[in-house]
Amino acid sequence: MSSCKALAAAFLTTFAAAALAQAPAAPPPSWQQGRTAEQDKSTLHPFAPHMTGRDVKELSLDKLKVPAGFKVEVWADGIPEARSLALGDKGTVFVSNRLAKNVYAVVDKNGKREVKTLLKGLNAPNGIAFSKGTLYVAERNRITRFDNIESALDNPPEAKVVVDGLDPQNQPGHFWKFLAMGPDGKLYYNVGAPGNIVMPSYFQAAISRVDPKTGVVEEYVQGVRNSVGFDWDPRTKNLWFTNHGRDWLGDDSPNDTLHHVSHKGMNFGYPFCHQGDILDPDFGKGRSCSSFDKPAAKLGAHIAPLGMRFYTGSMFPPEYKNNIFIAMHGSWNRTTKQGYNLTRVRFDANGKAKMEPFLTGFLQDEKADPPMWGRPVDVLQMKDGSLLFSDDYNGILYRVSYAKK
Amino acid sequence: MNRSFRNASAAACAAALCFLGPGTARAADPQLCAACHGPEGNSVIPANPSLAGQPEQSISIQLFQFREGNRKDPQMSPMAEKLSNKEMNELAAYFSKQKAAAPARKTSPESAAAGPKLAQQFNCVQCHGPALRGQQHIPRLAGQQYDYVLVQLRKFKARQRADLDGNMTAAAEPLNDKDIETLADYVAGLSPQ
Repeated sequence: MSSCKALAAAFLTTFAAAALAQAPAAPPPSWQQGRTAEQDKSTLHPFAPHMTGRDVKELSLDKLKVPAGFKVEVWADGIPEARSLALGDKGTVFVSNRLAKNVYAVVDKNGKREVKTLLKGLNAPNGIAFSKGTLYVAERNRITRFDNIESALDNPPEAKVVVDGLDPQNQPGHFWKFLAMGPDGKLYYNVGAPGNIVMPSYFQAAISRVDPKTGVVEEYVQGVRNSVGFDWDPRTKNLWFTNHGRDWLGDDSPNDTLHHVSHKGMNFGYPFCHQGDILDPDFGKGRSCSSFDKPAAKLGAHIAPLGMRFYTGSMFPPEYKNNIFIAMHGSWNRTTKQGYNLTRVRFDANGKAKMEPFLTGFLQDEKADPPMWGRPVDVLQMKDGSLLFSDDYNGILYRVSYAKK
Repeated sequence: MNRSFRNASAAACAAALCFLGPGTARAADPQLCAACHGPEGNSVIPANPSLAGQPEQSISIQLFQFREGNRKDPQMSPMAEKLSNKEMNELAAYFSKQKAAAPARKTSPESAAAGPKLAQQFNCVQCHGPALRGQQHIPRLAGQQYDYVLVQLRKFKARQRADLDGNMTAAAEPLNDKDIETLADYVAGLSPQ
């Protein structure tokens, strides 16, 4: 899991605390919710980003490794807590954040990148999507639209509401949203579980979609603890998404997962069943994993897969076509850390996943605290087929390109 | 510390800020910070936090919160408003490298007895560490100014203090004012190293 858990918020614990004013111990921070008594002394904790970013000159960029023929470089820096990425028709790269309140626009001018603060004062605007001239932003509680945005980067229009009321209970834990435009013209977004391992209410722990023309919402799939990345297979137009498994169930359990949605109404098991085959020690009682849909791939425990995209460009070698790139933001809930990379995933003819780290080097010491010096969040394919990815820990966007030798 | 020295320090702090008209002195000068946060960031003004030896990231994040308007203070907000990310990082690096002075406060015997239990019970040690010396973005409490800690805890409890991730608001919620006084008295007397 990502530092997301640090965002564990106050409300449930608050009410519980009020009810138990005389109780001997206060409720733990919500990222610790679900720990066993033996885990009480655990020193594992989520990591917070450097909100002021870090100077590129102070970072070990030479440590970043990509396969032969590929190159990685800093594309833009100074973008506080750079999270989700979206590409405008005219080449503007939009960048969101989660703990701050802004959306940034990065413009490429003759090879130099200018970072503009485009939108301010938003409520955890983690989700952004661009379609047909319009920028859509998913805040904690609503989705808004900004039409013809690339013509108004210095003077953006007022937000028009697509749908409001997405967070009626001001939910703790996983309140930020990922947003993407589907091939059906509908906006897809997640509502995460309100804690590590808790019973979600009706439209939590789900991916839903809203028609931007009507503002009508429908639930799409359920049993999704928290997804912070999805994309559609360019061949089948099916939705694929990444999902974070629960914490405090051990170093190697459960796996975070990659999912393939073949039809509306699928249920992937949370909070009853994790990774398709592990019953939850509490919520799984009296349940069977066979009632739920299975993940397409297990990605590793606590590795925190965030953004993912199918590669459809022509810059990379042909074998990369339609592969999935996933940004691994974790792990923290593991004594020996793993991840902090870009992972390449492809499927063989039998549907079996083949995975390999594509870009590594952020993880410098798997036992250290912190173990890493950078954390990938989202990936974005540029028009030339190169790949951008964001690093919220340092406020940097990197570009990965390929040149034949 | 005697009262007249305290007052003189506060006056020096106010005077330093008076010179900070728009476009004048660089707010990124650590000496300017020291006017209110004390020599090398060891505060001698009860209401102002010590910065010396604080984890670097804990300083830069708070500067960011002030600049973005998430944390507000009549003295700090205008100071932070002028700072770039780079300047914030430089100030954070500078103060994190200064040696934290021994605490001026002597914890009362009652607080010394009750403090460790409260710090455990209310999860202070979970994030601030077993000796309450902070880590990464989490500030050190050991040896911090009593008045400052008191005010911050009350503000967190009242949901009036910006909080990066909601953890402190949740942690302060179950504290009563007596707990807050005891905890502030306890941490203020702890050795910073």
